[in-house]
Amino acid sequence: MEGRRRKMTEEGEGEGDDGAGIGGFARLPEECVARVLAFTTPRDTCRAGLVSAAFLSAAASDAVWANFLPPDCAQILSRAVRPLEYSSKKELYFRLCDPILVDDGGMSFHMERSTGKKCYMISQRTMSIIWSDHPQYWRRIHHPESRFAEVAELLSVCWLHIGGTIDSQLLSHRTTYAAYLVFKLAPDSYGLNSTSQFASVKLGAYALENSVSLQPDNNEDDSDDDDNGGGDDDNDSELEDDNESKDADEDDEEARRKKVKMCLREDGWLEVELGEFYNDEGDEGEVEIKLYETTELHWKRGLIIQGLDIRPKL
Amino acid sequence: MATTGASDGASAAKKEGLVTLMSGDGEIFEVEAAAVAALSVTIRHAIEEGFGDRPIPLPIVGARALALAVEYCRKHHSLGGGAGEDSAAYDDELRAFDHNLAKVDRDTLFDLIEAANYLEIEGLLNLMCRTVAEMMKGKSVEELRRTFDVSNDYTPEEEEEVRREVSWALD
Repeated sequence: MEGRRRKMTEEGEGEGDDGAGIGGFARLPEECVARVLAFTTPRDTCRAGLVSAAFLSAAASDAVWANFLPPDCAQILSRAVRPLEYSSKKELYFRLCDPILVDDGGMSFHMERSTGKKCYMISQRTMSIIWSDHPQYWRRIHHPESRFAEVAELLSVCWLHIGGTIDSQLLSHRTTYAAYLVFKLAPDSYGLNSTSQFASVKLGAYALENSVSLQPDNNEDDSDDDDNGGGDDDNDSELEDDNESKDADEDDEEARRKKVKMCLREDGWLEVELGEFYNDEGDEGEVEIKLYETTELHWKRGLIIQGLDIRPKL
Repeated sequence: MATTGASDGASAAKKEGLVTLMSGDGEIFEVEAAAVAALSVTIRHAIEEGFGDRPIPLPIVGARALALAVEYCRKHHSLGGGAGEDSAAYDDELRAFDHNLAKVDRDTLFDLIEAANYLEIEGLLNLMCRTVAEMMKGKSVEELRRTFDVSNDYTPEEEEEVRREVSWALD
């Protein structure tokens, strides 16, 4: 083996006796290639496997993929509602890139595929939703497109105040996250875009507040709204309302423009960003996320909540 | 530096505290036993097994990589775990040393990985592997092949199969 190596060094690279170009990299023992790959990312490792068959085995090895799994992976698996079956760390990694239910179905967990960063969705059941124990204001129903057993549908309230918390220790460290409300709008929804509707995110000494809208804003960029509202065939009444209010005063117009807008997710649900935060070492306690309209107090209806999505901001 | 380098033989009586290493290409290095034994598990074991009086053969480690590995052991042995008020300054110096060492050309980089792996010098192995990893990050498959002189040895069918599995990672 030694003789072959020296010979190749003398003759130059790419002239190895097996014809394949063997740079220094492909000559390394598999455990060394695996150690290199463990310092890259899941995406880089998958690409490396395609470079040469010499890397394929290292790029699939447990040594590499164990390193890409979260440090608290065993704990996460023990919280899973249904046990996960897998035959390698790589398989486990990709299993966990699709959401699994944890904590008796109160949350879901998955990893962002290209980085392995942790993502959670807090189900509406685990959220705090004021007035939700009064069936005339909110109801819990089964929804076939929800990952959780039930969703919360807003029937009618003036006082809208919903929120949730998550231990920052559960999230990936040194990562900028954002929290999103994941929802749908009932056909007869209204009152969900008040200029005094706010979202806030708090972690330790950090706090952020944004004005957010849960309805398509038809005052500008109609085509965009059509895209966003693709799944919702129901906003005609809203359109009229907004057209009538076009001559609202400039401050109102400004507030409307600054609002965080909702958008359509790949899974067909809508989401709106409630705020971002930086999770440093996960030692700052609970992240507090809220959405509220408790000033104007107009009637609101038709918000269907799946949960709060907490995932790295890309 | 004073004791590194080739000498004309291994027969000379051992000076106190020195150990003799022989690279795969036959060069002899006389180095401080404490420094290399502290960093290299392989050499520590060889010394424990009584190799202390004879040259320790390191068949897959070339002279150039061995010289660099010994330099690494010396530096980290003298400054590593530096206690007291100098510790921060030592850390900076070690970081600068590692940074410079990682600037070697690509072939030496892989020689050093192989050497550190064989000699079981954990810190050096990680330093070099991390350096290669940084060179890989964000590169396309074609760029990786060019950067590391690795040719595509898949059959078209095999490549297609692997490509399908990792398609998400390719854009």
